[in-house]
Amino acid sequence: MKVRVNDVELDLAPGTSAIDAVFAAGGDVPYFCSQEYMSPIGACRMCLAQVGAPRKERDGSWVMDEATGQPKIFWFPNLMATCTTQVMEGMVIDTLSERVKTAQNGMVEFTLINHPLDCPVCDKGGACELQDRSYEFGDGLSRFQFDKRHNEKHHPLSDLITLDRERCIQCKRCVRYFEEVPGDEVLDFIERTAHTYIGTADHGLPSNFTGNIADICPVGALLDASSRFRGRNWEYDHTRTTSMDDATGAAIIVDARTGRIERIKAALNPDVNKTWIDDGARFGHEYVDSSDRLTTPLVRRQGKLEPATWDEATAFIAERLKGLSGKDVGIAVRADATLEEGVAAMALAEELGTGQLDHAPRPAATLIGNQTATITDLATADAILVVGDLTEEAGILDLRVKDALKGVTPPTLMPHGVPIADLRLKERMPRRREILAVAAPYRVDLMRHAGTAVHYPAGGEAAFFRALGKLAADANAVLVEADEAATGMSTAQARALVARLGAAKQAVVVLGGLALTRRESAEAARAFIKAVGAKELAVGPMANSYGLELLGVLPSHERYGYAGMLEGSKALILSHLDPAQDGEVAERLRGKDLLVVHDIFMTETAHLADVVLPAASVYERDGTVVNLEGRFLPVRAAPVDAGSSTDLTGVARALGEAMGKRLEGRSVRSARRVLKKRFDIDFAELPDTGLLPRTKGRGPAKALAGEAPAATGNVLVVPSMARAEYLSRNRHLAAAVGGNRLRVNPEDAAKHNLTAGAEVRLKVGGTWRQAVVHVTDGVPRGLMTIPSLPEQPVGLAQADLASIVVEQVRLEVAS
Amino acid sequence: MSVIDIAKGMGLTLGYMFKRPVTVQYPRDKVTIQPRFRGRHHLLRHPDTGLEKCIGCSLCAAACPAYAIYVEAAENDPADPVSPGERYAKIYEINMLRCIFCGFCEEACPTGAVVLGHEFEMADFRYQDFVYRKEDMLVGTKGGKWQRREAEAKGKDVKLGFEAGPRPELEGVDY
Repeated sequence: MKVRVNDVELDLAPGTSAIDAVFAAGGDVPYFCSQEYMSPIGACRMCLAQVGAPRKERDGSWVMDEATGQPKIFWFPNLMATCTTQVMEGMVIDTLSERVKTAQNGMVEFTLINHPLDCPVCDKGGACELQDRSYEFGDGLSRFQFDKRHNEKHHPLSDLITLDRERCIQCKRCVRYFEEVPGDEVLDFIERTAHTYIGTADHGLPSNFTGNIADICPVGALLDASSRFRGRNWEYDHTRTTSMDDATGAAIIVDARTGRIERIKAALNPDVNKTWIDDGARFGHEYVDSSDRLTTPLVRRQGKLEPATWDEATAFIAERLKGLSGKDVGIAVRADATLEEGVAAMALAEELGTGQLDHAPRPAATLIGNQTATITDLATADAILVVGDLTEEAGILDLRVKDALKGVTPPTLMPHGVPIADLRLKERMPRRREILAVAAPYRVDLMRHAGTAVHYPAGGEAAFFRALGKLAADANAVLVEADEAATGMSTAQARALVARLGAAKQAVVVLGGLALTRRESAEAARAFIKAVGAKELAVGPMANSYGLELLGVLPSHERYGYAGMLEGSKALILSHLDPAQDGEVAERLRGKDLLVVHDIFMTETAHLADVVLPAASVYERDGTVVNLEGRFLPVRAAPVDAGSSTDLTGVARALGEAMGKRLEGRSVRSARRVLKKRFDIDFAELPDTGLLPRTKGRGPAKALAGEAPAATGNVLVVPSMARAEYLSRNRHLAAAVGGNRLRVNPEDAAKHNLTAGAEVRLKVGGTWRQAVVHVTDGVPRGLMTIPSLPEQPVGLAQADLASIVVEQVRLEVAS
Repeated sequence: MSVIDIAKGMGLTLGYMFKRPVTVQYPRDKVTIQPRFRGRHHLLRHPDTGLEKCIGCSLCAAACPAYAIYVEAAENDPADPVSPGERYAKIYEINMLRCIFCGFCEEACPTGAVVLGHEFEMADFRYQDFVYRKEDMLVGTKGGKWQRREAEAKGKDVKLGFEAGPRPELEGVDY
């Protein structure tokens, strides 16, 4: 489709908006209300341009201009908002004429009439679209001599978002965002004309994706409450990296100042998270700046842990290791270690001659299936079955499932990036709810959007998939009563679901952590996926679960796994793991000859350790992670002041030096040399958007079963957006999500004498957990849910309900 | 060059021997500071409310060519505000060794909170004593850090070695 923008000829795809035509031509028009990946509505009237097009005669020929002999351009009588104008064959767009300039200048003046212009105290100052556009297109002087409209300056919309009602220019981005992206309609315009303001009828913003509105607000009206007044935009060190909060690997920008992480913003990765992240990834960083971070190594002398230098600490470890044979030593890393750290751990294990090497938490089933879907496959699927709670476990997948419900394929990137106005997207689009089925033992958020929402009995994932498998094998099979109970569906419902998955062009089954906990359920699930010809997306428990399995940070034998080494080894090196929360394990750790803990805080295990090494947090490492679709993503270190702490490559270097060895993986660079041989990828040159290799290096290093939790229990450990192990230090996030939630059915609450909002302690497995009681009918009778820990992965667990200690009853009604 | 030229030059020198000397016997005598002299910074308060003018916007730090200013802002407690509005400077530091007294901070300040005054006597012994904090610069503080230490040790008032005319923009600074 031929279009001319200010004398630049373009050939564009039909359906392109005029604003994208202007940007594709290298031009510029100001805009406030359009936003990538959201519907254009033409609310701000800033992107005005003079637009014209040729007309056709009745016979289909162009109306010609007699003077030039060219098709005559009929100009629209008024200036058009280019974001809502679709290009036509032969369209001419003029953004440079005096008429356009005057109109844009007038719109800036109009927008600024009620804007308080308090840029010096505004957190958006320096990164504000209105500020920039006012400089470019405004007059610089106001003719408006009256008092401005005054309104609330500091309205806490939630614990995470502060609203300044004076600054709002009514672009409607935030309102549209909530309806279109997460589908949680929690914000709207209230009142009319100059009195219009943004507000909510809910208590706070009940959504897991609220932080994105602070990113997309074109002015400083919606702001990140956790970074309020922490610094100005030009003072931050911006680090483009990958979120290690969950297994999706969303792109983020970490903004640090004077050695502290002040805020996290979403970055663009069109194939993964678009420009959205969940609140766990955005607000879950405050723990990094806690004052009780470990900054120097500690060594146990005469029974007491004392500060030491790295040389002293590593010399101490090397000395103790001398007397031990290889098979006595165990090394375990948490599953969000980078690939480079994995190489370091493997090199250490090889040097010490031990096969006791593992990452934890590691589900019993492999994450690397044969038919792994990409996230884009999920977003373009026409039949989806989700098992588990995606909203909490992998928020980005939740959003991408909602993309699939719209039935709009991801936009094609243009020369200037993501199209600013995608005219296929509309406000309040019809959603194809029928393509989505969600199954979980309790009520999960995504069920509100699902055509089929079913509850199966907790721990019954294997039975669920086996019953569905019967229908996949024989469409006319009839489910017996036990199967109907196992799936939570009648035969007809189940048959319809299986038929839809089987008939779909692109069916995706998302396996949450609950379905991967035990090997038999994963096997049943994969057999079913194969039978219906779907693709699978297995959600690993942590950021690099997929990568560490792919790399092979695995024990040489099943009994040498993490649980085995806690039991059997004489010396242990643990990175970011805290198994001593379990009293029995703590007792066993006391008997070890050597316990080395590499962590960022003095955990329970660190208190028992012989040597404690200060670790780099997930934001302070350089490296690579592999997300759940197998995409290699770069992780870059933000400048955080954390003393002499270092990641595992640093530990390998220091420990290697003490042992007189130069280990592979002694630095990120050295580890990358090893990785290059393995995967044939230069990880130093990895693009921001990552790399999804489909050929070399796929398939697990070895097939091994992890330790499966019990198949029965009265508490279901569930994934949580807010990481439970750090939640007490993440002040804002903890307030927003209401602490570690022990979700209890009202009947059970009455039975165990639990009131909503009560802070309780209870023993789950062997671990004392602190939680806040939330009474809800979303969990079935006889079951409670509690957020998972790295040491207490998802799945059923047995809690001693008689042991519940009510510590404090807060006078607050929790939902 | 002739003898006459040498005599002319010597004559000029000779002439000055009979004029009043321009050299001031500082510190015995006080120097006179011109009104536009730029010396140590003052952080001003609103004369009516007594609230600090500084809102912690960090624009002075952005304008500073010597990176001498560090600002950390915080939110005002509405019951007991430090400055008008929501934001105030929790930490405001100027490193006087780095400062080149160019006055850009004064020009950048949107509230007229930071003004370069007349004080120049800031010689001191340790590096850290050249980092002036809010309490060293707020209106009512007279003298450099060493001068104030000395005055406190001797139990006397701070003695400044200069005289200056009034400057209207230095509200509340009465010298």
